[in-house]
Amino acid sequence: MNTDSISNTEFAIPGFSPGLPVEIGRIEKDLGKLWEESGESKTRASLINLAIYTESAEAVAKNTDLIAQIASEHACRAILVYANHSAPTRGARAWINAHCHAAGKREICSEQITFQLDGDSPSALTNVVFAHLDSDLPLCFWWQGQFPRQSDSRLWSWIDRLIFDSNEWDDPAGQFALVRQIAGERTVLCDLNWTRLLSLRSGLAHFFDNACALPYLQRIDRVEIAHASGSRISALLLLGWLAGQLDWKLESVLGRHAFRAADGREIAFDLVETQGCCISSCRLSAGETSFHLERAQNGEFFHARMEGVSFEAAPQLLPAGRDRITDILLMELGRGGKHPIFLKALAAIEPLLAV
Amino acid sequence: MPTASAMPTNPLREGLLSRSAPEPCSLVIFGATGDLTHRKLVPALYNLAADGNLPPSISVVGFARREKSDEQFRTELETAARKFSRQKINDELWNSFASSIFYHQSEFTNLEGYETLAKRLDELDAQRGTRGNRLFYLSAGPDQFPIILENLRKSGLNKATPGSWARVIVEKPFGTDLPSAIELNDMVQEAFAEADTFRIDHYLGKETAQNIMVLRFANAIFEQLWNARYVDHVQITASEPLGVEGRAGYYDKSGAMRDMVQNHLLQLLTLTAMEPPTDLSADSIRDEKVKVLRSLRRISGEEVAQYTVRAQYAAGSVNGKDVVGYLQEEKMPAGSETETYVALEAHVDNWRWAGVPFFIRVGKRLPKGATEIALHFKSVPPVLFRQTGQAIDDNVLVIRIQPDEGVSLRMSAKLPGSSLRIEPVKMDFHYGTSFGKATPEAYERLLLDAMAGDATLFARRDEVEEAWKFVDAIREAWDSGEGGKLATYAAGTWGPNEADDLVKRSGAAWRRL
Repeated sequence: MNTDSISNTEFAIPGFSPGLPVEIGRIEKDLGKLWEESGESKTRASLINLAIYTESAEAVAKNTDLIAQIASEHACRAILVYANHSAPTRGARAWINAHCHAAGKREICSEQITFQLDGDSPSALTNVVFAHLDSDLPLCFWWQGQFPRQSDSRLWSWIDRLIFDSNEWDDPAGQFALVRQIAGERTVLCDLNWTRLLSLRSGLAHFFDNACALPYLQRIDRVEIAHASGSRISALLLLGWLAGQLDWKLESVLGRHAFRAADGREIAFDLVETQGCCISSCRLSAGETSFHLERAQNGEFFHARMEGVSFEAAPQLLPAGRDRITDILLMELGRGGKHPIFLKALAAIEPLLAV
Repeated sequence: MPTASAMPTNPLREGLLSRSAPEPCSLVIFGATGDLTHRKLVPALYNLAADGNLPPSISVVGFARREKSDEQFRTELETAARKFSRQKINDELWNSFASSIFYHQSEFTNLEGYETLAKRLDELDAQRGTRGNRLFYLSAGPDQFPIILENLRKSGLNKATPGSWARVIVEKPFGTDLPSAIELNDMVQEAFAEADTFRIDHYLGKETAQNIMVLRFANAIFEQLWNARYVDHVQITASEPLGVEGRAGYYDKSGAMRDMVQNHLLQLLTLTAMEPPTDLSADSIRDEKVKVLRSLRRISGEEVAQYTVRAQYAAGSVNGKDVVGYLQEEKMPAGSETETYVALEAHVDNWRWAGVPFFIRVGKRLPKGATEIALHFKSVPPVLFRQTGQAIDDNVLVIRIQPDEGVSLRMSAKLPGSSLRIEPVKMDFHYGTSFGKATPEAYERLLLDAMAGDATLFARRDEVEEAWKFVDAIREAWDSGEGGKLATYAAGTWGPNEADDLVKRSGAAWRRL
């Protein structure tokens, strides 16, 4: 594999370049030169290493835009890797660029290194990531698409936060099993699909911050979730979160699934595919009482309503969060910490993933 | 009455919040047509709504003297929110939020107005599910506090029904000296228990002030050095280029010592000097802060002239503009001797800080606005680099509170080249550079904490009174003439020469900000 030649500077998509072409062996020097030439008006900043892996050439441009937006809130060293498995020969090319945004009189800049790895070589991926990390900073690695059955275990063991989006998977049951198998012990699993549910989970929790509403949690007997086509996993994770937090166990009888609470109560659930955003409605019912979050298409808020409760409660508007993947990733990077509730939610609905 | 901690917890909140959730309540603002309500409180409440952080039910009731309808009040507040909110106003959300705002017209002195308020709050509880929880915000002038508190008590508004709570938020100043602070605290406690009293010092709501504890206790490298063995002295500075800005009436009675040192700067000092608390509960942290205040060596009598400097600004130039002196400010009493600048050397007489001076300086009409804490470390022994003939600058760790919040560390490094030349370099962490996200305003956090019953970032009675004991002794000497004369400094300079001499005695110099 030739990593020092700069003879071929073209990216896989003609006419598009992810930055300034550089020899892989000179990346750090050329980045240094970039900063020297930019004078004192630009400040390089970095709080994390953000690596993104994609097997789509088209995704490189989108990811470059995404990194620019992420960098304005989370200064980082970004390493974008495009694995071109279908290339006939092995090889590697690199480009560098910087994303700057104004902060007072100065510009704050984050670096991006883009690699195109031609041919099939898991060790090349490990090497380019290992060789270009900003030392001592956490490594957040976003693996876009399906996880491979075969991979270099040394790469996974270095990752602090492994980011993925389970909505992209064809085989969620298999992929969830695989990701838990490959992740290092200290690696935090960050499913963007879980992050996507944050506003919805906060909205549902908000109902029960009211002490008068809290007892109804122990009487819920039905959960109805309306989700967009392609967002079934999101709906399942939401259901899993409720089950995990309220200690419901999944039961399956003759192909019919329901949850059973510790007091013997059955909790039926209904996932309905509709038009609209990822999850447009979630209703928790306890007999005649219901707690309903609903979001209009492209709406910025959830309308939160309690019906049939024994106390007065004014309807509220709650933030629904944003659906853009950039916003979801920003939210994930801004949260930090481990996600034990996610693992609990996942465990609660695992048998449903394959249904 | 069940306390917040005794309430059953919401299992759906696990992992979503690292603080207590605010409870449904009615927030009653006394002085609702004032500047604080418009500039800070309502924008803060709107931002909490926009972030989904308000409790599940809330009513905001403005209590003020002027006649106006709910609708007029909402319109006024909308104008203010559009001007001062850190987030853009969304019409749909504003309309939803505004439907929770109400206006109650009454004189503060009129008991009947409180009785009708009580009825109205009961109605709002029934209509909006606010559960009888009441949070009273005293945003009026401090001279109005006694009558408001008295009428709250007489009307029974201070008493919560079983299962509910009634709390009060008191804005500074918490008195003008120890006797008045005790009187105010007694008055507050006649109406509200200490656990239900939230004294706001908005400095404590600032992210960087909260970060002091994280910096100290979550980083092993700093805490080992955070003592008299390694620290030479500490400088705490709060400078501002502004003058009295039309507040002559208030400021002339107050002065820099009461306005800034007694509260904000002594709070920063306690956070810097305190021992690690046993846990992060409000009282554990405040216990440690009080210990620092109790350990502050009292400066009194003739010592005051030695350890403090007070000064007043004269005419000068700030940011290229000529400005008048303090005595020429509009509505200023002739011959006023109120200090606009204070510098003092404090000592925390405990094992950790024995012999370490804490230099505090605060002033108006200084060249620029900045609040920071700087720990100056002791010099290295002058042995190894003696032959180079160079002075080696001491290490300085700076915690910048505002603006440009962050932390920097000055250290020495070899200048590249064949000869050995040592120069100071700075490692600098800027919140704004590293975290692009806008941080919440201090009032957002503080309002939320008061609704949740978390008093960690509020001053406790004993903290306030201990701080007054320290300040009063100095003031008494100033007032009697024993504590030295009032100096002057030209506006736009870093204060009087006497302040430079104060630190020079300890072999130090004020930091160039």
